[in-house]
Amino acid sequence: MSAERLLVVEDEAHLSEVISDNLRLEGWRVDVVADGATALAAIRADRPDLVLLDVMLPRMDGFAVCDALRKDGNDVPILFLTARASADDRVRGLSLGGDDYLSKPFELKELILRVRAILRRTEWFRAPSPAGDTLQLGAARVDFRTQRAQVGEHSYELSPKETMILRCLAERPGEVVSRADILDRVWGYDAFPTSRTVDNFIVRLRRILEADPREPRYIHTVRGSGYRLTP
Amino acid sequence: MKSHRPLQLYGVIVVLYAVLMGWWVIFLSGEGTWLVRDMQRAGAELSTAQAETLIAVTARTGKMFLAESAFLGLLMVGSVWLVLRSLRREALLARQQRNFLSAVTHELRSPIASAKLYIESLQLGRVDPSKTERYLRHAQEDLQRLARIVEDLLVSRRLQDARVDVHLEALDLAALLAPQAERLRERFAAAGATLVLHADGPVPARADASAVETIVDNLVSNGVKYGGERAHVELAVRAHGEHALLEVRDHGKGLAGADPRRIFEAFVRGGDESVRTQQGVGLGLYIVRELVAAQGGTIAAKDAPGGGALFTVSLPLARAAEEGR
Repeated sequence: MSAERLLVVEDEAHLSEVISDNLRLEGWRVDVVADGATALAAIRADRPDLVLLDVMLPRMDGFAVCDALRKDGNDVPILFLTARASADDRVRGLSLGGDDYLSKPFELKELILRVRAILRRTEWFRAPSPAGDTLQLGAARVDFRTQRAQVGEHSYELSPKETMILRCLAERPGEVVSRADILDRVWGYDAFPTSRTVDNFIVRLRRILEADPREPRYIHTVRGSGYRLTP
Repeated sequence: MKSHRPLQLYGVIVVLYAVLMGWWVIFLSGEGTWLVRDMQRAGAELSTAQAETLIAVTARTGKMFLAESAFLGLLMVGSVWLVLRSLRREALLARQQRNFLSAVTHELRSPIASAKLYIESLQLGRVDPSKTERYLRHAQEDLQRLARIVEDLLVSRRLQDARVDVHLEALDLAALLAPQAERLRERFAAAGATLVLHADGPVPARADASAVETIVDNLVSNGVKYGGERAHVELAVRAHGEHALLEVRDHGKGLAGADPRRIFEAFVRGGDESVRTQQGVGLGLYIVRELVAAQGGTIAAKDAPGGGALFTVSLPLARAAEEGR
């Protein structure tokens, strides 16, 4: 397997040097850019496996870069590295579609662990699912590879997170999957502060896949535990 | 917004007052005529002259009331304007504080983060021996950067409390600046910036040596920072009339429309904090202005002819200061 390609976006020359040296030592291939606009162009031109994105950047800040990518439909995993450590900034970064958030100064080991965790999650997502590439729920047919759902005449595009949640459930049909399990596999350990987030995604999935979202046939809520998929 | 509620209440009072005044105007302008009519109805027989006198007297009282209430009205509007102005100032100050916090947070955390990572990498034996030297040097530069920021913060704190002591003495600015220019040239060479010192002979000023050094250091750093890529900064000292002039010029974008007085205020920096283009916390020029003032000098900034910014510090010449005593 070829080494994953990481892009470090950091305007402080010292930080980008020491970070990229250490990531290369782990066997990853690392490119470095120093401003937001260049980063956006580089990611659009050639999607890396992970972006380590500073927030305060010249020309275009990191939040704006992330926002622009997600609006393009680009789901490249993003790890924010930033000197801004307020809870507001953290929530903002994650709600814009960041995968994780690390505030400066951080430990070298923690950085490497988080990078590895994000890569592992995306690798799981890219690998063929033991549940197969498609999932049939009544009239609805979900394709995990194209991230689309076909319901009768209508075709819906699913977000990467929605697809991952559905795959999580499909890999254990008939079993109760807890919110914590879903958070762990889809978002990684402590990225999101609340399991309510999962509920919001489930609501949207039901709206697409269930004939009557209020009386779900396939995606059931198990009170106090989690969710169960019965195909 | 909570802070605006009393202001809105005050606005309502002013409007009510204006309505009341309008009513007075109508009432007072008719009062004399009504009085004459009422008296005639009650059976009084008034000659035309008497009626006119009555109308004139009430009109005079009316004018007096109107003048008084108009004055009061103006006073109210004026105080609203004052309140609004101070609110706006407060908002500006709050924005500067946020700017400052944001800048300081970034400026302190970035060098801490990189110094920490350099040292951790060395400790964990993750550094190629050929790079050890470089890692140590970079960690040390990070600490120097941190030290400079902390020093700026402390100096500006002292300046705000007006606790700065300058020891004025006659000194030759040209001789003082030559070795400093050399040091600055070395410091900025790594960033690709160049510095030249123009000095034709001695320039005797009455000044504080270490204050002048700080001023030059901050102005030249500023020039390198805003002078664009491969900045070229010119430093000149000369005597002009009764003054010793110290000029620092860069070839960047100049003041770019910024208020030439505002740029010397604390925590003011070019651009927006979230789209950072420059390092720094916005104290350099503030420190310069305060140190210049403490030595009895003046400073001005303007766009240089031909592009770039020109800072001119004017200090008393040693001769002139001596004679003036």
